[in-house]
Amino acid sequence: MTLTINNLKKKSKDEIAQMLGLTDDLPPSKEAALERLAELGIPTKKSEEYRYFDVESLLDKSYEVHLHVPKEPKIGEKIVIENGVIIEVPKGMRVYYDQCDALDLTHYDPIYYLSHLLAPHVIKIDLDGDAEVELVHRYTHSGALLPYRIVLFNQENRHATVYETFETEEISESLILYGYDMHIAKDSTLRLIKTQSMDENRYAMISSNRIKVNDHANAIIKTFDLGGDHALQLLKVDLGTYSHIDAGHLLYLNHQAKRGTVSKINHIGEHSTSQQEAKNILDGNARGIFDALIKVEHSAKWTKAHQNSKAILLHEDAYMAAKPQLEIYIDELEASHGATTGQLDRKQIFYLQSRGISYVEARKMLVIAFANTLIETVKDTRHQERIQKAFEKAFYAGHKELKR
Amino acid sequence: MSNNKNEKVLEIKDVHAKIGNKEILKGLSLDLEPGKVHAIMGPNGAGKSTLSKTIVGHYDVEMSGGDIIYKGKSIKDWEPEERALEGIFLSFQHPVEIPGVNNAYFLRTAVNAKRKHEGKEELNAAEFLREMKKYLELLGMKSDMISRSLNEGFSGGEKKRNEILQMMMLEPDVIILDEIDSGLDIDALRAVSEGINRMKDGKRSFLVITHYSRILDYIEPDYIHVLKDGKVIKTAGPELVAQLEEHGYDAIEE
Repeated sequence: MTLTINNLKKKSKDEIAQMLGLTDDLPPSKEAALERLAELGIPTKKSEEYRYFDVESLLDKSYEVHLHVPKEPKIGEKIVIENGVIIEVPKGMRVYYDQCDALDLTHYDPIYYLSHLLAPHVIKIDLDGDAEVELVHRYTHSGALLPYRIVLFNQENRHATVYETFETEEISESLILYGYDMHIAKDSTLRLIKTQSMDENRYAMISSNRIKVNDHANAIIKTFDLGGDHALQLLKVDLGTYSHIDAGHLLYLNHQAKRGTVSKINHIGEHSTSQQEAKNILDGNARGIFDALIKVEHSAKWTKAHQNSKAILLHEDAYMAAKPQLEIYIDELEASHGATTGQLDRKQIFYLQSRGISYVEARKMLVIAFANTLIETVKDTRHQERIQKAFEKAFYAGHKELKR
Repeated sequence: MSNNKNEKVLEIKDVHAKIGNKEILKGLSLDLEPGKVHAIMGPNGAGKSTLSKTIVGHYDVEMSGGDIIYKGKSIKDWEPEERALEGIFLSFQHPVEIPGVNNAYFLRTAVNAKRKHEGKEELNAAEFLREMKKYLELLGMKSDMISRSLNEGFSGGEKKRNEILQMMMLEPDVIILDEIDSGLDIDALRAVSEGINRMKDGKRSFLVITHYSRILDYIEPDYIHVLKDGKVIKTAGPELVAQLEEHGYDAIEE
């Protein structure tokens, strides 16, 4: 079937169901998702969370909805999901299809609900023990709308890590609607390290996520978004008592890219803490987005919330939309937020040039220096090097035409 | 490079240079001989630092006339890195701090860029460290300075030692020392001077820019050039230093 998502605008729940072909008896979670989608409506350029992202032109295109057909995955070293289908799983790891039984009914993003409705099932990943796993997403279809969702659980008192990367073949004009429902168990730590390098005009992505951090748990979410094209990650994080999130977002964009993060971190439990840092390096005509709200509820006494965005513009046509926000309902807390935008320091570039380092290499050294505080938070050196290489590749792609 | 007395490694010919709309160098001419130490002295605002910036191609400076000939080629349109790769080195009066750029990584990148330019094998990390350690001791530098960010949080003396370390590793042919003695205590001045004197090999040329004669007690000059109002108004041997000390710059006539 083909679908133009904008045709779902201003439609009732029943009309949406009919247009999406959801005519059978729906499970309660899908019924609820339908209701929320009809209530929130399809996003437009006026929608608060999509105001800096060119969502309408993406949703206005007609896509072939790619319905994934499950097949038996092979045993390998990583989890590989190709076009929404699990094709490889490490031995003994529980990765399977299931219905989503824990939908978040208070998510702000209509695409969260749309992707749940379009995906015939969710991919569940149970991380046992102190698992450390690589998750590879692969896309091979052009002109496709690919909706799929992952539900991730870890175990109490355990420390699991997921390294997530994205691959693509020579495709074009596809739209991926994807995201996590992440349930971080009590007294545990879950680290998600996402590296997404994108070329121009391959695919666009709206990744809509819900992260529930239970009491005394830690979420460490580091995202490295590099290169071109259009992608937005939307996060909704709920923090329980004594829980913590450490979120870091590195953007290095070139050409006509429009990418970034929209997030809402809700401090619900007492003594919850959040640390969110965005570093953005924008070249060409790129637009970076950091639209982030930290909300401290009445129940969240003695919380700590810190949020910061720093951007470097490498080109006069680059633009950073940074909007850090705090919404606070109590007095007993510690909170800060801020945003800065600047350029590379000419004196520093000249100093490096005066030692025989080319203009391009000098710029590279300075942007890597800026980015490194985030890259170095990835403790595993192999993955750290991989991110650095991806970063350099994106940098040189944006400096091809620059001779010096 | 030969040691022929008449050979000039660097010829500054009637250079006019502006910073913003203000003309600072007003027809400055100066020749540097191979293997010699040339000291530039002059009052504040004479154009000493502008001269060093002009030679290395600083973005602040716009050359509006004249030429700079280095080893027989005009370099006035060369990029700063081309001048550096060809062997011109400026020790900055105020070296910039670059947080996040590791000092050793930076220096290895610079050394290897030059080696590559000269068609030599690049140094691997171990070879580079071995090479560098020889100089660290000589300059009285703590080994942790090389693992820190470039000049970040360095004291004035540490920054100048780091400049000299770079100079020694890069082995340039023309070395410009802009106020190398400013902010140095006696021990640092001695260590820095020792580093500079180690670089004298009868071929390299030095251009020592200074306000005061103190540094010249440590680095013995062959020529003293007095710079005033954007021009060299007098060139003489080292005996001129004493005269300047006694009578000041005002006593020097064109």
